[in-house]
Amino acid sequence: MSAVEKTEVAVIGAGPGGYACAFRAADLGKKTVLIERYPDLGGVCLNVGCIPSKALLHVARLIDEIRAFKQHGIDLGTPRIETEPLRSWTEGVVRRLTGGLKTLARQRRVTVLHGTATFRSPHELHVTGAPGDQPQGEHLVSFEHAVIAAGSQATSIPGLPEDPRILDSTAALRLASIPKRLLVIGGGVIGLEMACLYDALGSEITVVELTDRLLAGCDPDIVKPLERRLRERYAGVHLATRVLAVEAHMSDTHISDKDSGELSARLEGQAGPVTQGFDAVLCAVGRRPNGHRLGAELAGVSVNEAGYIPIDAQMRTNVPHIFAIGDIARPPLLAHKAAHEGRVAAEVIAGHKSGFEGRVVPSVAYTDPEIAWVGLTETEAVAQGVRYGKGVFPWAANGRSLSYNRSEGLTKLLFDESDHRLLGMAACGPNAGDLIAEGTLAIEMGCDARDIALTIHPHPTLSETVGQAAEVFEGTVTDLYLPRR
Amino acid sequence: MAPVREVVLPDIGDFKDVEVIEVLVKPGDDVETETPLITLESDKATMEVPSPYAGTVQSIQVKVGDRISEGTVILTLAERSAGGASAAPVPDTATRATIATTSAAEPPAPTPALPAALAEQRPPPLPSAEVVRGSRAHASPSVRRFARELGVDLGLVSGSGPKGRILKDDVTAFTRKALSGPVISAPAGKGLVSAVPPIDFSRFGQTELRPLSKVKRIAAEHLHRSWSTIPHVTQFDEADITELEAFRQAKRKEAAQEDIKLTLLAFLLKATVVALKRHPEVNSSLTSDGEGLVLKRYFHIGIAVNTDLGLFVPVIRDVDQKGLYQVAAEVQALSARARAGKIEPRELQGGCFTVSSLGGVGGTGFTPIINPPEVAILGVSRAAMRPVHDGQGFAPRLILPLCLSYDHRVIDGVAAAGFTRLLAEVLSDIRHILL
Repeated sequence: MSAVEKTEVAVIGAGPGGYACAFRAADLGKKTVLIERYPDLGGVCLNVGCIPSKALLHVARLIDEIRAFKQHGIDLGTPRIETEPLRSWTEGVVRRLTGGLKTLARQRRVTVLHGTATFRSPHELHVTGAPGDQPQGEHLVSFEHAVIAAGSQATSIPGLPEDPRILDSTAALRLASIPKRLLVIGGGVIGLEMACLYDALGSEITVVELTDRLLAGCDPDIVKPLERRLRERYAGVHLATRVLAVEAHMSDTHISDKDSGELSARLEGQAGPVTQGFDAVLCAVGRRPNGHRLGAELAGVSVNEAGYIPIDAQMRTNVPHIFAIGDIARPPLLAHKAAHEGRVAAEVIAGHKSGFEGRVVPSVAYTDPEIAWVGLTETEAVAQGVRYGKGVFPWAANGRSLSYNRSEGLTKLLFDESDHRLLGMAACGPNAGDLIAEGTLAIEMGCDARDIALTIHPHPTLSETVGQAAEVFEGTVTDLYLPRR
Repeated sequence: MAPVREVVLPDIGDFKDVEVIEVLVKPGDDVETETPLITLESDKATMEVPSPYAGTVQSIQVKVGDRISEGTVILTLAERSAGGASAAPVPDTATRATIATTSAAEPPAPTPALPAALAEQRPPPLPSAEVVRGSRAHASPSVRRFARELGVDLGLVSGSGPKGRILKDDVTAFTRKALSGPVISAPAGKGLVSAVPPIDFSRFGQTELRPLSKVKRIAAEHLHRSWSTIPHVTQFDEADITELEAFRQAKRKEAAQEDIKLTLLAFLLKATVVALKRHPEVNSSLTSDGEGLVLKRYFHIGIAVNTDLGLFVPVIRDVDQKGLYQVAAEVQALSARARAGKIEPRELQGGCFTVSSLGGVGGTGFTPIINPPEVAILGVSRAAMRPVHDGQGFAPRLILPLCLSYDHRVIDGVAAAGFTRLLAEVLSDIRHILL
């Protein structure tokens, strides 16, 4: 055992929740140690999640637009894609952000320890550095307060062999190669984002989803334009379909069927099982919280079966001086929720009367078209018997959307039938993720339909569709003709 | 199709405009008959209104803070018919009242598990990070955070902004009003929280968190209000009850034949009436503006009863017009009902004065807290045999310690001493009761 580090606050995990928590705690005058098992700060989000995927999805959009405008007089030829410079550009984006975090930590005098933390007791953590890692070695961190922000990891499905061509999202973002045929297992946000990326890079995509819907958390009418586009472009979008097994054929194996590739997948849908060949398989079937990997029991912290650590409104676990935030505490597994929770935990530790003020947490799928939603969905409203009214505005009537050469989008607002307050918003179309912020703010501020309809939205922008959807609900819209109700 | 029923507030005694302090169900909830639907609070008691039907809640017509009376529609319910036949409404829809008046004297008792109806309604864990507290309050995130910092429940604040929006100023004004004295109307445990900073006791050793029952939380607020707003003085005295006790023992068997337990408390109540008649200011209340006294010509006396649920003060009416046996019988019946949690709100109302006896437990004296709007409370400790000098020699006498806490704004020290002395004399020679 080498160094013993005494601190007021120990934060386990330097993802968007963990670093927000550590920085806020330091700003509030707490001596803070931030423990991270990877060499770079930022967690999954910065290193192998949100940021590199968005950089690459921007590239995908660029490629798609170049292709789309060929028929409108702009022929830039067929894009030639070199993965090496593309990867290093993406890494540059990531490095810039993680380097920024390092600086922010240094400026605040937050001690960063690299290693894997496990609890020794309710007031001690054992940190083991990776072998061959800097001269960090082993640490014992004794703390007054701890914040568990150790996140989640990708889950897999049974029946997948160990094979370098079977990827999780992290591996897919490395762009080791661009497979000719890619099977994407999972029709959720991560699976579809990766499908969009590899589609633009030239792969032939097949998506398999176990349930009967893509993006299960979102309303079907919002997903529909995306689904239609995917079905036009992809080799297959199979809903209610199970992956029974994937078999890896090594190149020296005798292959009898010339149609089968190096990986053959057995899929079982309503039409019965089929076997198809692929060059790579991406498994994106969800994420699992890391609650069972910390020795939490030695600190007396309870972890539920799924791996979540239950918390109260102040982010406290059942042990009052130990907090949990982000993916490891509760869904939704989203960076922006984690950051808010991290700051609340830091404030509570500093003795402030703080709590999670957000009523809603927005979700975005950076697919093409983008999908975003916040608050109550129509599916939930129906299931819960909420009396609601809605306003829907099609982007086919929005000049800005048409100028992007896109017309499939829509914006939908749900209102409380009695007081007309906004309950939920969803949108589909380019940059829908940016529009959702207005709906989020409107819900937090308690806006009603008229507030939104009477707010002057700039023209010509996509944001107009939010005001116009409210006008549709109010019956005051002039950009559409609606027969009298 | 299940019949949809309106659930209205049943007769809850002579209460009107009673405040809803808790809504215990939400649309979509399945309820059984007798499932508590809402909690009401009057000046003295909280009442849970049980569901008269079993079924699924469709819509709720009341919200926290509403004032409702008999006949007000509380909610609509899709009735679940048992075996095809529609379930008959339970005949007794009377609300179950629980406490809560005040007296300081509460012997320590192990806290048993609370019945489900009274246990703290813990919000179910939510899938997303939705705030439960005042969750529909029309207030922006900054105002919600400000309210949290001040410990104000936004559900209790009315907004002055457009469409009732709660502004920062509304929260400030609410706080100022709450701090400025007896107009405070926030239920216990809500509104302003105590100024004690949270302490992490687990640093010092093992701890366990036990939520306070609703009854205790409401009692706590009444006690705190009384203790901090009324200038209390406690006068101590002693009564020689040797003869009284001899008489009581002589009559006990006779009473027992009528199933009456002839306790010292019955004598105390009768003696108190004699003293109240001679000192009318002790049987009074201060007017709300503090400029006058309401003198009462009736003699309803409350008795502090300790129960598993918390402290209750049921009131014996017209003690002056009742005989010793009848008073004893009523003490017995009301205490039993209180312990069974079956006391009705009207039985907790209208007291002029309270008697709190800890004689059964022990002790030599204590300082009870006045039960407003009353102005005095009598605490009684354990009687003990003591040598008393009668001028020639020491004789063993049974001495009962009396402790009278009184509101010094209404009662002078001399009057309080006179009241207590008179009470002691009446108890020493109970023939005074006849005078």
